[in-house]
Amino acid sequence: MGAVAGMQARGRGLLVVAVALSASTALAQGAPSSADLLRSEHEVGRAGGRLVFALRSEPKTLNPVTAVDIPSKDVIGRLTADLVHIDRQTQRTAPALAKSWRVSPDGRHYTLELRRGLRFSDGHPFDADDVVFSFQCYLDERNGSPQRDLLIVGGKPVVVRKLDAYRVAFDLEEPYAAAERLFDANAILPRHLLEKAQQEGRLPQAWGLGTPPAEMAGLGPFRLKSYVPGDRLVLERNPHYWKVDRAGRPLPYLDEIMFLLVPSEDAQVIRFKAGETDLISRLSAANFTVLARDQVAGRYRLEDLGPGLEYSFLFFNLNTLDAGKLAAVSRKQSWFSRTEFRQAVSAALDRQGMARLVYQGRGTPLATHVTPGNKLWMNGTLPPPARSLSGARDRLGRAGFSWKDGTLQDGAGEAVEFTIITNASNASRVQMASIIQDDLRELGLRVQVVPLENRALLDRVFHSHDYEAALMALTSEDVDPNSEMNVWISSGPTHLWHLGESRPATPWEDEIDGLMHRQLVTLDARERKRLYDRVQALVAENLPLIPLISPNVLVGAREGLGNFRPAILDPYVLWNADELFWLPSADRR
Amino acid sequence: MHGLLLLAGVSLLSFVLVELAPGDYFAEMRLDPRISEATVHALRARYGLDRPLPERYGRWLASLAKGELGYSFAYGQPVGPLLWPRLRNTLLLTVTATALAWLLAVPLGTWWATRRRGPADAALTGLTAMLLALPDLVLVLGLLLLAVRTGWFPTGGMVSLGHEQMPWGARVKDVAFHLVLPVAALVLGIVPALVRYVRASVADALGAPFVRAARAHGIPERRVLFRHALPAAANPLVSLFGLSLAGLLSMSLLVEVVMSWPGLGPLFLEAILARDFHLVLGPVLASTFLLLGGNLLADLLLAATDPRIRTEER
Repeated sequence: MGAVAGMQARGRGLLVVAVALSASTALAQGAPSSADLLRSEHEVGRAGGRLVFALRSEPKTLNPVTAVDIPSKDVIGRLTADLVHIDRQTQRTAPALAKSWRVSPDGRHYTLELRRGLRFSDGHPFDADDVVFSFQCYLDERNGSPQRDLLIVGGKPVVVRKLDAYRVAFDLEEPYAAAERLFDANAILPRHLLEKAQQEGRLPQAWGLGTPPAEMAGLGPFRLKSYVPGDRLVLERNPHYWKVDRAGRPLPYLDEIMFLLVPSEDAQVIRFKAGETDLISRLSAANFTVLARDQVAGRYRLEDLGPGLEYSFLFFNLNTLDAGKLAAVSRKQSWFSRTEFRQAVSAALDRQGMARLVYQGRGTPLATHVTPGNKLWMNGTLPPPARSLSGARDRLGRAGFSWKDGTLQDGAGEAVEFTIITNASNASRVQMASIIQDDLRELGLRVQVVPLENRALLDRVFHSHDYEAALMALTSEDVDPNSEMNVWISSGPTHLWHLGESRPATPWEDEIDGLMHRQLVTLDARERKRLYDRVQALVAENLPLIPLISPNVLVGAREGLGNFRPAILDPYVLWNADELFWLPSADRR
Repeated sequence: MHGLLLLAGVSLLSFVLVELAPGDYFAEMRLDPRISEATVHALRARYGLDRPLPERYGRWLASLAKGELGYSFAYGQPVGPLLWPRLRNTLLLTVTATALAWLLAVPLGTWWATRRRGPADAALTGLTAMLLALPDLVLVLGLLLLAVRTGWFPTGGMVSLGHEQMPWGARVKDVAFHLVLPVAALVLGIVPALVRYVRASVADALGAPFVRAARAHGIPERRVLFRHALPAAANPLVSLFGLSLAGLLSMSLLVEVVMSWPGLGPLFLEAILARDFHLVLGPVLASTFLLLGGNLLADLLLAATDPRIRTEER
């Protein structure tokens, strides 16, 4: 029924990017007849029932402005809605509270048309004032919102203007490719409930876990019903929700979602297996294998969604160091900074072996930081990584290294050895580091592995720079290259291997800087892809981060759960909670 | 006075030790490529993490005085209200387990003391040695395995899914049902050591000259045991009881995490890993407080049960 056009405006006059969905003839319960409801195109389900999902840690807040932890976001995502939403399955944007949007030819001005006649979960009407208020909250420095940085474009905050009750304009300082994707993470807040707190500077403290449900409201499919500290959080169906199914019946189908706090993955697996929870995500390969054995008897099904957006990597310390303090590391940087050295290390690694041993085959070897899970942006022309010890030796030889009694030594005759630090609480990474140790031993390199507590590891990487090499992983929240900006531009705060560069330290970093900035302001999708392909090629060649493995996203659901369409983007299984329903055959509810 | 000094010492020491650990709560935010360094700095400044250590300690003390016990960075709210509901759940678990353990240990230990050098003695020695050697984690996992395999007990949590809809009586039963496994794990962990203590104390008392004198007077064995030996053996046990109060908050942390019991355990573990400093200090301080309270209670009980102590006081 509705149509969503491409991700980017292509600069041909004032272009309508998304076409409004016509107002549904059907009525959602509680929504007025004039409401612009969104019609879902998926399987028509049955109303009723409860879904139980285990969270690994307790949500810390229900405040969309301050939430940073995954459990909080998992819950808040069901309570709230955004203007434009990223469809987790197609990875493209789709209309949400904004039924359409237009981009000016210069890519600096967005005009969003809001759905009319919608109500918050407490029945209060929604209009442009709520949108303006929400962005004011996200942008207010006093609130310390993690979303704020995304809304600073070209060094200036996005300007949000109300055009009329149902139209809002967003003005950007400079063109920003795919800016509509920015709307995905910004839940629209009820002005009528939060304006006072915002005016008094108390917004960060608002909507803590102890807030009475009557003082909260959102535009999401569910609303808060109850919270028992340390134990559970229950959401109930929002009767004012703005989506209907193909048959015109109101969504969501489920009466309740119960989030149980189950503080370890193993305990989650046990409770899923015992039938006490209905969905499970973030499974390790080992637990996936254990659960897979009893799929039929246990009346659940597991899905391996393939590589997600997480990529693990090995990197060397290329920071500008105070040689007096870190003399040993500083000396070794003469090896680490040689591209041939990093290429040789990369060529010596058996990534297939890692995927097999660490992830029981449920991981994908990587040539670059963009995983095959990123359907839209991966550079498919780059060859998959292959182990080649002879290639590694050639490169080291060309770079002036030699071997004495099987031990690799540099031009000055010093034996080449270094230490890899990694997160001790992540068994997969420690195992990968050990495999790297073995692989590099075959090259005559002596490597020690030092597992560290995660914060201690981060302290060394980000502050003291007291390390030689580290094994870590990053996960993008979105497929778009803009979400990786801070990793790749030389001045970025997540430019892990060399932090705080005032200017690009190498010609290829300079080129990546240029490419990343150009793709940011380029509105033509194909041109952007070309630019980002080149970034990936430069990363694969120069290996500032030596990409290793992307673990597969492993999830499971109880039999009889309709519309279960897990995706590799967060939140893997709950993103379409409004459409989930229990089939008549489901034996639990 | 001595107790207050100890409390101040523990608070200072734990504050400094926690603060000395590398990294802080906001360190992990640096891994999110979408968050700028400036935002992380601003957040650190807002929570006063950029201030010198003495000032931070002073602020924490001030918040302690208000009963807030500091401020959790993760939850964005004072620590006190986060602790109380979980404290109640932890105490429900540990008080039940401690009471049950004592109720089991005293009669069993006393009986054991009267059965020296028999097959019962050998069996109990072997059994308690085995339980003592068994790591708590193995015990908990074993019980959990039992629950999963048999379906006799719930595999975690404190209440069933439909708890809110149950009538009052059924709710109590529901919680009791959920208590079985975690309490069993705790009791099996505490009882062996306790039984051995009781046995040793009673055996000591039974060998004492006054017991022999009582026996020589022809007093029946049962009366010797309960009227004469047991009160004398109670002295070290009362001190031990005081100490066991100190462990009420900490003894169940592991069991709570593994069995998803909504007590302090999961909160404490997460706070440690996340470097949520004040949230770590709350339970530490509460444990110290219980240690002092337990000692005080033990002293009072001793004074009540042991006439020798009352005499010394006079």
